[in-house]
Amino acid sequence: MSGSATKTSPLHDKHVGLGAKLADFSGWSMPIEYPGGGVVAEHTAVRERVGLFDVSHLGNALVSGPGAKDFLNRCLTNDLERIEPGKAQYTLCCDQDGGVVDDMIAYLRSDDEVFLIPNAANTARVVELLQASDHRPEGVRVENQHHDYAILALQGPLVDQVMEELDLPTGHDYMSFVPAQWQGAEVTVCRTGYTGERGYELVCASDAAPALWDALMTAMGAHEGLACGLGARDTLRTEMGYALHGNELSDEITPVMARTGWAVGWGKEEFWGKEALTAQKEAKESRLAGGLVVTGRGIPRAGCRVVDGAGQEVGVVTSGTFSPTRKQGIALALLDRGTDQGSELTVEVRGREIPVQVSKPPFVEGGAAG
Amino acid sequence: MSSLQYPDDLRYTSDHEWIRDVGDGVVRVGITAYAQDALGDVVYVSLPSVGDQVAAGDSCGEVESTKSVSDIYAPLAGEVTSVNELLDATPELVNTDSYGDGWMYELTLADASVLDNLMDSAAYEAQLD
Repeated sequence: MSGSATKTSPLHDKHVGLGAKLADFSGWSMPIEYPGGGVVAEHTAVRERVGLFDVSHLGNALVSGPGAKDFLNRCLTNDLERIEPGKAQYTLCCDQDGGVVDDMIAYLRSDDEVFLIPNAANTARVVELLQASDHRPEGVRVENQHHDYAILALQGPLVDQVMEELDLPTGHDYMSFVPAQWQGAEVTVCRTGYTGERGYELVCASDAAPALWDALMTAMGAHEGLACGLGARDTLRTEMGYALHGNELSDEITPVMARTGWAVGWGKEEFWGKEALTAQKEAKESRLAGGLVVTGRGIPRAGCRVVDGAGQEVGVVTSGTFSPTRKQGIALALLDRGTDQGSELTVEVRGREIPVQVSKPPFVEGGAAG
Repeated sequence: MSSLQYPDDLRYTSDHEWIRDVGDGVVRVGITAYAQDALGDVVYVSLPSVGDQVAAGDSCGEVESTKSVSDIYAPLAGEVTSVNELLDATPELVNTDSYGDGWMYELTLADASVLDNLMDSAAYEAQLD
C-alpha cells in the first residue's frame, strides 16, 4: 500500500511468499495480515491456540562495558536492581520533562552487559541519547544493532508444545530469558510478549531467522496455529490495555499519566525526567489512562473526544479498536481524574455519538504470566 | 489477489462500490471485492436511514474493519428505500458475500437514465491497476 517503507525484515521473503498484506511501520515494510487468516482469525488463534509474529522491526541495542548496568540505571526509569541477570525488565526512556522518548525491554545479561529492545521508530534516538549522556563511563559502549537480529514472537496457550518440537527451552519464569542453540544458531528465548497470552520472543541473528520461521510454522501446523500480522498484534495488545508508544505514551503523555509508574524506580537517586515526573505524580492533576467499552455500536478511534452527559470534554481516546474476543468496540483513553469506573460517557466518532462505559483494562483475561 | 471478481452485470464507481439495477428505477449498492479485501475483516457497518434523500457523492454511511474506516458514498442521487439489516448482526457478510448478502442499501433513483454513465466491470477493473 505504501511505497515509503524502505527497510525490510530478514523474513520479508517469507511474508511475500505467504501473500501477506504489507504496510509501513516506522519505515519498515511489515505484514499486517495474511491471506486465509485476517485480523480476527489471527487474533483468535493467539487467544485460543498459537500464533507466530515477525516483530523484527523492533530495535536492538547493546550497552556493554564495565558499569553498563549502573549507567543505564541512571538514565532509564525502571530499577535494574530489582532484577537478576537472566531477567528482562520493561522500562522507559524519558526526557527531562518526563515525556517518553520510548518504552522498551531491557535484557540484563550481567552487570556489564544489557541488551535493549526499543521500538522501531525510536531506537536511533535512544541510542543517541545514551551515547551522548554525561553519565556514560568511557568504557561503556552503546551500539545500535537494529539490522543484526530478527525477533519472532510465538504466542498463545499451546506455545510450549510448539517450542518443544524444536527442542527450544520452555517453562522458564515470565520475563526471564534463556540462551539456546537451534541448528547451530544462537537463539535467545524470552518469556515475553505483547498479546497477554503465554508466549516467547525469540531473538536470533538475521541469517538464522528464515529457517527458524519455517520450523515454527511447520510445528504450529499440528495445533492450527497461524502466522499473525501486526494488525492482530494491535487488537491483542489493546484488549490487554498495553501501552503503545505514540498512542498511550509520548513526549506529552508521561508514565504518570499512562499509569506505568510501576516501571519507574521512584527511589533511585536519579533517572532522566525524575524531577518532572515526581512533581507531576505529587500534583495529582494530570489526566490518567483508563479504558472504555462501547455499550452501543461503533468503534472509537485515536483522537476522538470523550464527553460527559453535559457535553463537557472529560478525555480523549488514545487507541480504539474492535475487540475480536468481546465482539464490541473498546478503547484506551486519557480521562480526567475523578472519572469513576462504570461512568456512562460518550465518544464523538466522526460526528456520531457512541455511548461507552468506563472500564479498567484488561478487557479480557490473558494467561501471559501463568 | 487474482481471485477477486467483478461481475459483468453490475456497474461500478471509483469509490469501489457496485450498483445493481433491480428494475423500476431502483438500484442496490454494495462495496466491491477489491474494497472488502483492502479493508480486511469488516466489523461494523453504519448505513443511511430509509427515507434519506442523497445526492451523488454524498457520504451516507461507514464501513469499519479492525484496521480502518471508510465512508460509503451515494453513487447517484435518489431516496434510500431499503437497507440491509443483516449487516447489523453479521457485518462479515461484506467480506464473505460482497455482491450478495453483503449488499448495503437500495436507492430509488431521481433519474434512472444516469445509471449508464457509471463504469462497467471492464472499465472498473482497468482503473484498479
